[in-house]
Amino acid sequence: MANGEVTLARLWSWTRQSGAIDWDAAFAESLPRVYNFFRYRVGDGPLAEDLTSITFEKAWRAREQYRQDRSALGTWLFAVARNVAMDHFRSHRPTVPLEEAEELPGGPTPEDLAARRSDHERLGRLLARRPERERELLALKYGAEFTNREIARMTGFSESNVGTILHRAVEALRADWDQGA
Amino acid sequence: MDDRMLHEYRREPDPRFATDLRERLRRLERNRAFPSRRAVRIIAAAAAVAAITVIFAVPSVRVSAQAVLDVFRVKRFAAVEFKESRRDLLESIDKERGFLVFDRQEKILDPGPPTYVASREAAAAPAGFDVRAPRYLPPGMAADSVFVQGAGAARMAVSEEKLRSLLERLDLRDVKVPAGLDGQWVEFRKPPVVMQRFRSERRRAMLLQARSPEITLPAGWNLAQLGEIGLRILGLDPGDAKRIAKATDWRSTLLVPVPMNATSFRQVTVNGQSGLLIMTTGEPAADGKRRERTILMWSTGDRVFFLQGNLDGKELIRMAESVS
Repeated sequence: MANGEVTLARLWSWTRQSGAIDWDAAFAESLPRVYNFFRYRVGDGPLAEDLTSITFEKAWRAREQYRQDRSALGTWLFAVARNVAMDHFRSHRPTVPLEEAEELPGGPTPEDLAARRSDHERLGRLLARRPERERELLALKYGAEFTNREIARMTGFSESNVGTILHRAVEALRADWDQGA
Repeated sequence: MDDRMLHEYRREPDPRFATDLRERLRRLERNRAFPSRRAVRIIAAAAAVAAITVIFAVPSVRVSAQAVLDVFRVKRFAAVEFKESRRDLLESIDKERGFLVFDRQEKILDPGPPTYVASREAAAAPAGFDVRAPRYLPPGMAADSVFVQGAGAARMAVSEEKLRSLLERLDLRDVKVPAGLDGQWVEFRKPPVVMQRFRSERRRAMLLQARSPEITLPAGWNLAQLGEIGLRILGLDPGDAKRIAKATDWRSTLLVPVPMNATSFRQVTVNGQSGLLIMTTGEPAADGKRRERTILMWSTGDRVFFLQGNLDGKELIRMAESVS
């Protein structure tokens, strides 16, 4: 037995924790949120799935370290997801602006052009143009469906600051949209 | 473009991707032993609560009379309510000072990590007993996986100084620390534990079974008196602590602390044996909602069982009664 395994306080926390976490349910509940968080960050496609997989695999390996009395499971999982996103952006900095990237040789196929007509494709492209900070907050708000208060706790911004940044980001998206960008 | 469109940009993950990822995580769990190691410790943990509850006070006979030892084995379960604020206080004292009332610990036998086995039949050899399983499962539910953890043993020495300091912190000034307690060893033995998991799309259950854990105490200790002090430490008032301590068979009753504001519990019967059914609201999940859990503990012969799941009490009892 490990040190302290039979101290009363720890026994209580085991009792509490062993009964409280259903990791299967946690997976089912969290997967769409984490996946969409990455879709709003890196766009649709296999990359969002890859980063989602990395997040869950990291979290699963570290799950015994998770302490319910310190943070909610969602907060803990998204701390992992945000680190995964940060690592990804650190090692995959774009070498050309996203606007230019759309014009890279090869060009869109007729099928691509048809797909891009959809509002969602267009929104995805507009999201990709937003600055990093705005995009992360948009991803947490709309992709992971956190409240402004929860986002404030996770990012260290004040709640009102989160609201302001999100408001400006949505306004900017709307302006781009109206301009037919 | 508006807020609504931003919400509607969300999309469900591809089901194939979700299934593949879940499978990969399951393989990870199996390779890494066990997904929730704390769960496997529950029987030993609960037993130890009882042990710790009984070692706080004055032994009626000097502890030098150790030729005959008192052995605790689980025969029945009883709940004792306590306030979460008390638990939090004890946890913070524990974090601050290490063990609450012990100052030395010796590991006698390391149980090792719980390991995945292919079937309950395959669990019999490492567990040392024929593994029982429920014949009844709720509709749609099927057996999922089996894990075994080996036997473990440790002994711990009581520290009068720590006990005195604990009582002081809890403002239990009327409780006297006995002489002759210092340095006495309490030994804990946890037999192998088998855990079986069951699942359907939305529901989960887990059955743990083991031979009774054993706790060996120096002979001659007045267990009722020790128990009374343990109950005071849990936060019971002096009258309740005395009454419960007197009515409890401390050599065979496992006391399970139940938080007052988050759970309800009742005594039930499982195939004629007394059991304890606890309904808990659990901790908030990722979405902030609490998930209800039902836990059933009972004992038959030399074996103790612990069944838990997101099922209602009736279903859990039906599963428990079909265990054979």
